[in-house]
Amino acid sequence: MPDYNLRLIIPEIFLFLWALFIIAFDLGTKRKNPKLIGYLTMGGIAATAVLLYLYHGGISFNNMFKSDPLALFFKVIFLGSAFMAVGSSFDIIAQKIKNHRGEFFGLVLFSTVGMMFLASAGELISLYIGLELTTIPLFILAAYYKDDRISVEAGLKYLVIGAFSSAILLYGLSLLYGLSGTTDIVMMKINLALLYLNTNGIGWALLMAIVMVLAGIGFKLALVPFHMWAPDVYQGAPTPITALLSVGSKAAGVVAFMRIFIDGLYGFADAVMFPLDWGNIVAVLAAAAMILGNISALRQKNIKRMLAYSSIAQIGYVMVGMVAVSELGVGSVGYYMFIYLFANMGAFAVATIFNDNTGSDSIASYAGLSKSSPMISAFMAIFLLSLAGIPPLAGFAAKFFVFAAGIQAGYTWLVILALLTAVVSLYYYANVIKMMYFAPDNPTIKLNTPLSANIVLIIGVAGLIIFGVYPEPILNFALDTARVFGF
Amino acid sequence: MLDLIIFYFAAVIAVGAAVMMIMQRNPVASVLYLVVSLVAQAILYVQLNALFVGALLIIIYTGAILVLFLFVIMLLNLRGEHFGGKQSRMGRASKIAITVILFAEMVAIFKQVAIPERIGTQAAAVAEDFGSVEMVASHLFKEYLYPFELTSILLLVAIVGAVVLAKRDKTEKMEDA
Amino acid sequence: MDQYLSVLIFLLVGVGIVLFTFFIARLIRPHNPYKEKNQTYECAEAPVGNSWVKFNNHFYIFALIFVVFDVEAVFLFPWAVAFGQLGLFALVEMIIFIAILVFGLYYAWKKGVLKWV
Repeated sequence: MPDYNLRLIIPEIFLFLWALFIIAFDLGTKRKNPKLIGYLTMGGIAATAVLLYLYHGGISFNNMFKSDPLALFFKVIFLGSAFMAVGSSFDIIAQKIKNHRGEFFGLVLFSTVGMMFLASAGELISLYIGLELTTIPLFILAAYYKDDRISVEAGLKYLVIGAFSSAILLYGLSLLYGLSGTTDIVMMKINLALLYLNTNGIGWALLMAIVMVLAGIGFKLALVPFHMWAPDVYQGAPTPITALLSVGSKAAGVVAFMRIFIDGLYGFADAVMFPLDWGNIVAVLAAAAMILGNISALRQKNIKRMLAYSSIAQIGYVMVGMVAVSELGVGSVGYYMFIYLFANMGAFAVATIFNDNTGSDSIASYAGLSKSSPMISAFMAIFLLSLAGIPPLAGFAAKFFVFAAGIQAGYTWLVILALLTAVVSLYYYANVIKMMYFAPDNPTIKLNTPLSANIVLIIGVAGLIIFGVYPEPILNFALDTARVFGF
Repeated sequence: MLDLIIFYFAAVIAVGAAVMMIMQRNPVASVLYLVVSLVAQAILYVQLNALFVGALLIIIYTGAILVLFLFVIMLLNLRGEHFGGKQSRMGRASKIAITVILFAEMVAIFKQVAIPERIGTQAAAVAEDFGSVEMVASHLFKEYLYPFELTSILLLVAIVGAVVLAKRDKTEKMEDA
Repeated sequence: MDQYLSVLIFLLVGVGIVLFTFFIARLIRPHNPYKEKNQTYECAEAPVGNSWVKFNNHFYIFALIFVVFDVEAVFLFPWAVAFGQLGLFALVEMIIFIAILVFGLYYAWKKGVLKWV
C-alpha cells in the first residue's frame, strides 16, 4: 500500500467530522439551544486551527494534497473568516432561522472544509472538487431565508451563475488536461512548456483554456466582467454569509488562481508569450474591476451593496499583486487577503449587528450612530478606513506592498490607476463615517451585541491595529508562501 | 465503415434532437428531446471506447436528472404559455453572436487537433482497455481515491441542501409537536 | 467495438418489431375518429377541470435524494466490477464513502423527509 500520509489531512477530517457532529447534535437536541451550537462551532474551528499547527508540512496522496506554506497561510484565512462569520450570526440564528439551525453552521463548516481542500490541491480534479465543495454550501446558505424573496433570489442567482461558471471552468481545465496529458499541476507546467517548445507555440487551444479558466475563476472572485451576480447575491444573502462569501470564498478563488496560473501556467505570464500572456489580460481585468467597483460603490444607498462593490474593487487591487508573478507579488497578495479578512469581516459584522437591531441595511439609517453606540461606530470607522487604506491601519500596508509588487514588475500604469481609484474609494467609505458621526441624532438606535459578536469585532480591530503597526511576522509568513512557486 | 455510419447516425440525432429541444414551446417535449440527444451522445461515447462514460450518461442523466426536470416542470405547472415570450432584437442578436463565436472556437480547436504532424508529440499512447470499466475503476480507486472520497462529502452537502431548501417548514412544526 | 455490434442489431430489431406491429395494427383496425374520443377518460363522466394538477412537493425531495444515491450507485458500479483486482484497500475506501452518505440518509430520516404525509 502506498504511503498516503494521512496525518496531513487530520485538520480537514476533524473539521468535517465536527460539521457532522454539529448537525447531529442539533437534530438530537431538537434545536433547543442555538447559542450552544454556535459556540461549539466556533470551538471546532479553533480546534482545527490548533490541529493545523500540529500537522502541516508535506505532500500526500501522490501530490494531490499539498500541505505547503501557501495552503497553511490561506487555511488560516479561511478558518478566520468562518470563525468570524459564525460569531456574528448568533442573533440571526436566534431571531430569523427557526428551522435548520445546526445545518446553518454545518454548511458553513462544509464550505470551510472545501476551501481548505482547495487550498491544498496539487491537481486539477481535487482543485475542482474543492471549489465545488466551497460554493455548493454557499448556494444553500445564500437562500437561507426561505420566506424572503430577495434571499431566495440571491440563492438562485448564485446557483445558476455558479453552475454556469463551474461548467466553463471545467471546460477550460479539460482543455488543459487535453494539452498536457496530466492533471497534476506541476507536471502540467512541464508538459505545457515542452509542448510549446516542440510545436512552435500551442496557439488557440491554450488561449481558449486560459480564457475559460480565467472566466470560471473570475466568476468565483467576482472579477469584472464576471461580477454582475455579486451585488444582488451579497444583498440578499444573510449578512454573515455575505461576509463569508466576500472573504472566505474569495480567498479560495485567489488560491485556486495562484495554483493554476502562477504555478501551472507560470511560463505564460509574460508579455513575450503574446497572445497567450495571461498577465496582461488579468491586468486589464484588474483595471476594469478597480474603476467599475469604486465608481459603482459611490452610488449605493445600501451598506451591503456598497460593500459588495467595494469588494469587487478590492479584488482588483489583489490582482495588481497577482500579475506581478514574483515573490513580493505572491506575498503581498497573501498579506492583502489576510488584512482584508479583518477589515471586511469586521465591517460586515457591524452591518449584521445593525440589521439585527434595526432591521435596516440602508446607509442613511446609520445617522447619528456615534451618539448612541460610540464603540461600534468607532470600530466601523476603523474597518472602513482600513479598507480605504489609511495609515497606520493594516489596510495601508497591504495596499503599499501590492502596489510595490506591481511597480517592481513593470505595471506602473496599473498602479497609478489603482492609486487614483483608491482616492475615489475614500469618498464612499468616509460617507458612512460622516453619517455616523456628523449626521443629526437619531435617538431610537441602541445596538445590543451578543458576546460572540463583540469577540468578532475585537478580533477585527485588534488585527488591523496590530498588523498595521507591526506587519513583519505576517508579511514574512506571506513572503514565505512564495517559496511554493520557486520564487 | 460501419463505425462511420454509426457515428453519423448518432451525431445527427444528437445535434438534431438538441436543436429540437431548444425550439420547443412545451417544456415536457423539450425534456424528451433532451433524452433522445443524450442517448445519442451515449452512443458516441461508446464509440470512443469510453463505455463507462456512456453508461453514466444514461444512468445519471436520462435516468435521474431528467426525471427531476420533469418533476420540476410538473411541480411548477409549467406549460407552453409560460415560455418563450417576445425576444428583443438585441437579445436574439447577442445569442446568435455567442453561438457563432463558440462555433468558431470549436472549429479552431479541431483544426489544430486534426493536423497530425502538430500533435504527433502530444498524442499519448492509449492503453488497450482504455475507457473500460475496470480501467476507470483502477484509476478512480487507486490514483484518484482522494478526489473520490471528497465526492462523497459533496453528495452529503447535496442531501443536506435538498432537505433544507425543499422541505416545507409547516410539516416540520408538526414533527416537533 | 465489435462486441457492441450485437447491441446495435438488438436495438434495430427491437425498434423494428414495434414499428411493424403498429403497421399491422393500422392495416386491420377500423378508422372512426370523433371528438369525444380525445377527452380524458373519466369513467364515462364528462371530465371537470384540468388534468394538470399541482404535485405534492414531497415527490421532489424524494427525487432529489434519489439522484444523490443514484450518483453513489454509479461509483459502486466500477468498484464492484474491479473489486477482484482492487482488494481490501478499495473495500475500506468504499466503506468510508458509503458511511459518509449513510450519515446523509440518517439526517434525512431524522428530519422526517422520508415520512409520507
